[in-house]
Amino acid sequence: MSTINFANREINFKIVYYGPGLSGKTTNLKWIYSKVPEGRKGEMVSLATEDERTLFFDFLPLDIGEVKGFKTRFHLYTVPGQVFYNASRKLILRGVDGIVFVADSAPGRLRANAESMRNMRENLAEYGLTLNDVPIVIQVNKRDLPDALPVEMVRAVVDPEGRFPVLEAVATEGKGVFETLKEVSRLVLARVAGGS
Amino acid sequence: MVEPSLVLYGAPYERAVEVLEETLRETGARYALLIDRKGFVLAHKEALWAPKPPPLDTLATLVASNAAATQALAKLLGEACFQEEVHQGERMGLYVDEAGEHALLVLVFDETAPLGKVKLHGKRAAEALARIAEEALANPPRLALDTEYREGAEALLDDLLRN
Ligand SMILES: Nc1nc2c(ncn2[C@@H]2O[C@H](COP(=O)(O)OP(=O)(O)O)[C@@H](O)[C@H]2O)c(=O)[nH]1
Ligand SMILES: [Mg+2]
Repeated sequence: MSTINFANREINFKIVYYGPGLSGKTTNLKWIYSKVPEGRKGEMVSLATEDERTLFFDFLPLDIGEVKGFKTRFHLYTVPGQVFYNASRKLILRGVDGIVFVADSAPGRLRANAESMRNMRENLAEYGLTLNDVPIVIQVNKRDLPDALPVEMVRAVVDPEGRFPVLEAVATEGKGVFETLKEVSRLVLARVAGGS
Repeated sequence: MVEPSLVLYGAPYERAVEVLEETLRETGARYALLIDRKGFVLAHKEALWAPKPPPLDTLATLVASNAAATQALAKLLGEACFQEEVHQGERMGLYVDEAGEHALLVLVFDETAPLGKVKLHGKRAAEALARIAEEALANPPRLALDTEYREGAEALLDDLLRN
């Protein structure tokens, strides 16, 4: 749940970018970092290996400004996608307010997408959460690949029941990156502040 | 929700800040923070003489993640937890201790602060803060977020995230 600090009049939300390795999670955060003006973002922290694979997480704090006297912040995290880093992935889900699941459109990654979603469900379950308890948005990334699978095919393996909003993206070009973040933020806000 | 939101407000917040202030005085540390396990700052205090602190968001996130990893390690080794943690460089040091189940105390100190004092008073402060956090958790304030808040936040997001 969001952290509300009444004394400092702050409201903080935690958004986690989940998904298989190399699907473009870090690329999403880098794009956001590069486009958000100074003063609205903090430092981006990347705990990565020498070859730029996420080891623990990336972190980017965004300050969207003051709403009704409350400074409102979004803390964005990515998880390491590689299968063997599950212990770290689990830790990062703690206290999550919203999730962006970044799926890969590459034909060879269909199964990795499905497995990552299953893994996410299992890790949420360890906190007593189901997929219904957390707002989730699916981003189908790498739409620019010449052999990109149809969106419906990707969706069919990660969200067969069609429960979550789906957005297409080319994260390297920034296409769909802001849209995805806005969508998940909307869902998160609707959860804590009525409506939806 | 499984992860209760620790919200410090009013009297418990004031008392937490007092504990942090006192700990700064007793230890000679530069900065004292109470953060939640997710890495958000709940309360913080800086010594009057201290230079500008590093970004607190970043500090809190890294400390909380580190603590989470350390706790996972303890479990792996069959321990319920590893207690306080001290990191020391040539000039700067970091003391982290559990303030109950849901919060962490962080002290940032330099070479002028004796480590023995940091540890002694850090431990006491962590215990006092744990009690305050427990109390705050037992009496959560009402959320004052409404549709108007939501619409305001959405408008700001639209503004900020413009292609
Ligand atoms: N073609 C293409 N490549 C992408 C896209 N997004 C990310 N990549 C590339 O995929 C690789 C892995 O991206 P990264 O963000 O590190 O993946 P992560 O493991 O999910 O964090 C990098 O080489 C990116 O440049 C995209 O939309 N299209
Ligand atoms: Mg990454």
